[in-house]
Amino acid sequence: MTPEELIAFEADIAAEYNAGKIRYPVHLSGGNENQLIDIFKNFKKGDWVFSTWRNHWHALLAGIPKEEVKRQIMAGRSMTVSSVEHNFFSSAIVAGCCPIALGVAWALKRQGSENKVWLFLGDMAACTGIAHECRNYAVMHDLPLRIVIEDNGKSVCTYTGVTWGKSQYVMANCDYYHRYVLPWPHAGAGQRIQF
Amino acid sequence: MAACGRWSTNSVLAMNEYYKNLKLAMEMLAQHNAIFIGQAVAYPGTAQSVTFENVPDHQKLEFPVAENAQLGFCTGLAMAGLLPVCVYPRINFMLEALPQLIQHLDKIPLFSEFRPKVIIRTAVATDNPLDPGPQHLNDYSDAIDAMLDTVKVVKLKEAYQILPAYEKALKDDWSTILIEYSEKLLEEKK
Repeated sequence: MTPEELIAFEADIAAEYNAGKIRYPVHLSGGNENQLIDIFKNFKKGDWVFSTWRNHWHALLAGIPKEEVKRQIMAGRSMTVSSVEHNFFSSAIVAGCCPIALGVAWALKRQGSENKVWLFLGDMAACTGIAHECRNYAVMHDLPLRIVIEDNGKSVCTYTGVTWGKSQYVMANCDYYHRYVLPWPHAGAGQRIQF
Repeated sequence: MAACGRWSTNSVLAMNEYYKNLKLAMEMLAQHNAIFIGQAVAYPGTAQSVTFENVPDHQKLEFPVAENAQLGFCTGLAMAGLLPVCVYPRINFMLEALPQLIQHLDKIPLFSEFRPKVIIRTAVATDNPLDPGPQHLNDYSDAIDAMLDTVKVVKLKEAYQILPAYEKALKDDWSTILIEYSEKLLEEKK
């Protein structure tokens, strides 16, 4: 997908939300379309993706048809878009996917697979203990786990740097890291909706 | 019946029968290619360790003491098509795994098409013969059961319950927590 297609998809979801057609929280992606497109150039068929509550672009770039992603969002699953067919899973809980992704990576290695697991984390999630536990285990056991940190500087409304006491406190030696500015609010599309 | 130390012979026999059946249950799961993950699984260390003696080494994975990561790891194994048996020596220790148990393993079938099945094994202790103190002795089985929507909780109070319970857990499409009360046998049959 192109940057323009990704941006247009979220604009469509925003319009549906602002029209009151989605009676569930939505978490729109934005501001890092070019970085994600570059990262997904390394994605191979059969790879797994573990994502966060802000997963729409990850799902699209992992190959889930946009009609299916939209169907799940309209059904109230913006935070938990998933697909067995595409080995794609996301969780609404901060860092909740870390050990699950780790287990899949261990299984792939045991099964002799050449595939990888892509684990997307926000900057606050990357500071959690369980993220570090899983990173350490993956590195020491040489598991095919690739960690991508998307740093927009905060978790929901809490600033990561302020709360942890550093301007940029994230996992050392992660596989991919980028900072970006999210053009959307944490949830919703910027308008107050009267359902 | 003659007494055996501070316990009756009956209670010791019941305890032996209990562990014999646990050992058979682990063998049965191993024959279905289960992978056993936890502490004192691949190495001796707890009362449960002896029950893994007949499980092939390549099916035992000694895991760091990271209970929450351990359960999530097992959920991942299940999502990738394996059959994990997640072992916690005490239910008190399993409290550390509640985020992955309640928010993921239990909820995943409610918000996705994934159906990871994990068999969880844990135990309730007593203060007899050793009193391990208030951080080891609780029975949280009912409280945990009350928080679950899809994962089932099974209490193994007697030896005869063990094999049928594990056979059912193996056949079921959902995850099961099997809770052992072996030490209670000594306490209750004095």
